[in-house]
Amino acid sequence: MNTQVNQKPLTERLEPYIAIIGPMVMILAILVFMGLVEPVRYFRTTNINLILLDAALYMPMAMAMTFVITQRGIDLSIGSIAALSGIMMAFLIKQYGFSVYIAVPIAIMLGAVMGLINGLIITRFKVPDLIGTLAMDLVYRGFALVLAKGLVLARFPDFLTDIGRGQIPGFVPIPVLIGIATMIGGYVLLTRSYFGRYTIAIGSNPEAAELTGISVNRHKVFAYVLMGAAAALAGVMLTGKLNAIQATSAPYFNLHVIAAVVVGGTSLFGGRASMIGSFAGVLLLSMMINALVTLRIEFFWQSVASGAVIVSSVALYTWMQKKDRDGAGGIMAALSSPDGQKMVRFSALLIGLLIVLLAIGGLTAGDAKPSG
Amino acid sequence: MTDTPLVQMRGITKRFGGVTALSDVDLEARAGEVLAIVGDNGAGKSTLIKVLTGVYQPTAGEMFLDGSKVSFSSHADAIELGIDAVYQTLALADHLTPAANMFLGNELTKSILGFPILDNKKMKSETERVLMERLGVQLKSLDAPTESLSGGQRQAVAIARAVYHEGLRVLVMDEPTAALGPQETARTLKLIKALKAQGLAVILISHSLDDVFEVSDRVHVQRRGKRVGVVKTADSTTQEVLGLIVGAEEVPA
Ligand SMILES: Nc1ncnc2c1ncn2[C@@H]1O[C@H](COP(=O)(O)OP(=O)(O)OP(=O)(O)O)[C@@H](O)[C@H]1O
Ligand SMILES: [Mg+2]
Repeated sequence: MNTQVNQKPLTERLEPYIAIIGPMVMILAILVFMGLVEPVRYFRTTNINLILLDAALYMPMAMAMTFVITQRGIDLSIGSIAALSGIMMAFLIKQYGFSVYIAVPIAIMLGAVMGLINGLIITRFKVPDLIGTLAMDLVYRGFALVLAKGLVLARFPDFLTDIGRGQIPGFVPIPVLIGIATMIGGYVLLTRSYFGRYTIAIGSNPEAAELTGISVNRHKVFAYVLMGAAAALAGVMLTGKLNAIQATSAPYFNLHVIAAVVVGGTSLFGGRASMIGSFAGVLLLSMMINALVTLRIEFFWQSVASGAVIVSSVALYTWMQKKDRDGAGGIMAALSSPDGQKMVRFSALLIGLLIVLLAIGGLTAGDAKPSG
Repeated sequence: MTDTPLVQMRGITKRFGGVTALSDVDLEARAGEVLAIVGDNGAGKSTLIKVLTGVYQPTAGEMFLDGSKVSFSSHADAIELGIDAVYQTLALADHLTPAANMFLGNELTKSILGFPILDNKKMKSETERVLMERLGVQLKSLDAPTESLSGGQRQAVAIARAVYHEGLRVLVMDEPTAALGPQETARTLKLIKALKAQGLAVILISHSLDDVFEVSDRVHVQRRGKRVGVVKTADSTTQEVLGLIVGAEEVPA
């Protein structure tokens, strides 16, 4: 058994664990780097608490997104679902005097219904996941703006701020417990339930799943409902954390959550799921963004970093899973092929044109007139 | 081998829009025998067995199981009555373990606090048992995803899924050896013989006459949607069957 395993190339032997190794290596890299550059400010208890608080917000969504992506789907409406359900909850509490204990479950149910709408649009009307949820993102965000106008709804009962930022004395923050609980729940769901099993089957081989009598559409809808409910829970947690909510809240949820799940080794091509990987991915992204803040790098670089992480990890996993790469012979071989040469010339032409245009612009430029 | 057919298809016609894939086809398969179906590409072999397994509904014709008339509105109906198939594409979810595949859509569960929880341990041991007892196959690891198995092992998992159903009486295999090397082919043929010995009616679609002549008892030849002949393998030759396939001669059923 062991000798057999040892004959396989290293990448193949590591493959089953890659979901964990990938983000772990990156987390370690961040730890080492920050340990060298900014150990005092990065490893302060208050800062670690900040990282955990931030990560906790994304855990429920990463858990649900793992199911959605494993089924070959994607959900680009979760930021808007979080904002809209948060705002509806806020209105129920502040304007209609609802008890917070009722308003929170209502918010989560509202999110589930929004997920249901997404799921039905995708399965009944055959709108591709990407377009369907992107369009519904506009719809949900639009409703949030219509409802809240420019208002910031603030100051909520203690129960809500406990959910968002409460601390168990001498222990971890309450939202971290909520986040970890959802991840554990997701793990059990993935490995021990019909829903989890069929999620993998559907993503792995939709025709086979259909043939064995699995209701593919119903389980797709389930995944989007779970996603909607998780996004709403995140909306509730965010409202509690800031003790405020507005229509434009949670703008970066979509890509951040997708990045965390993908870094964790869940395949965008379906079938390959890792809940532990998603957990590690969430931690990694929160640590990375916190590191950027600690290093006083401008906030807007976060978006650059998240994008870069998605592209590089997807490319890495695709490369690792390509069984016949031995024949391909790496990047240099690809570049020297006739088609590669054409691509190089084409890229050179584009960049050349850009440089020429910049040069002309620079030479003919007059005095700058700053607007405003 | 008994003489009353276990399954009978009579006068089966299947049209897809304007295309007639099958016209007036008869087929009989008996328990404890291997019936091979041969024919050129597009002769209607896959369509014929998809009608038999309830995936397609015939445009005309009837089917009998044990002498009584049956009709299937879905593949599940056919499985219910003991007719199952292993398709050309195997229909496995490659990312799942062999055990998860074997029980896909039919998972074993245990109840914890009233909730049904998948019993992965039981499914694994059952898979190990069925593979060993029914097919004589032992996998190195049952925890690795199915994609890491060889073609023949994947075949065994797909077959195990069909034979796990206690009531299975007819197993159809659509080109099981098409993608396999010589060693794996020999192993799959051995599996087919084992299933036959267990009293199943095995229907084997194959383009390899060598395989057909090694395992089958009778050969059903399709040409352009019609049955052009049925021969006893023992009384026939590759030449004769080849002649039927390309249409050089015709033998009454
Ligand atoms: N779903 C379908 N819709 C329309 N035409 C079909 C369909 N399935 C099969 N056909 C047609 O029916 C005929 C028989 O096809 P079938 O797949 O049964 O052939 P086959 O004998 O299995 O061929 P092969 O050896 O290539 O697998 C072909 O002409 C095919 O184009
Ligand atoms: Mg065929």
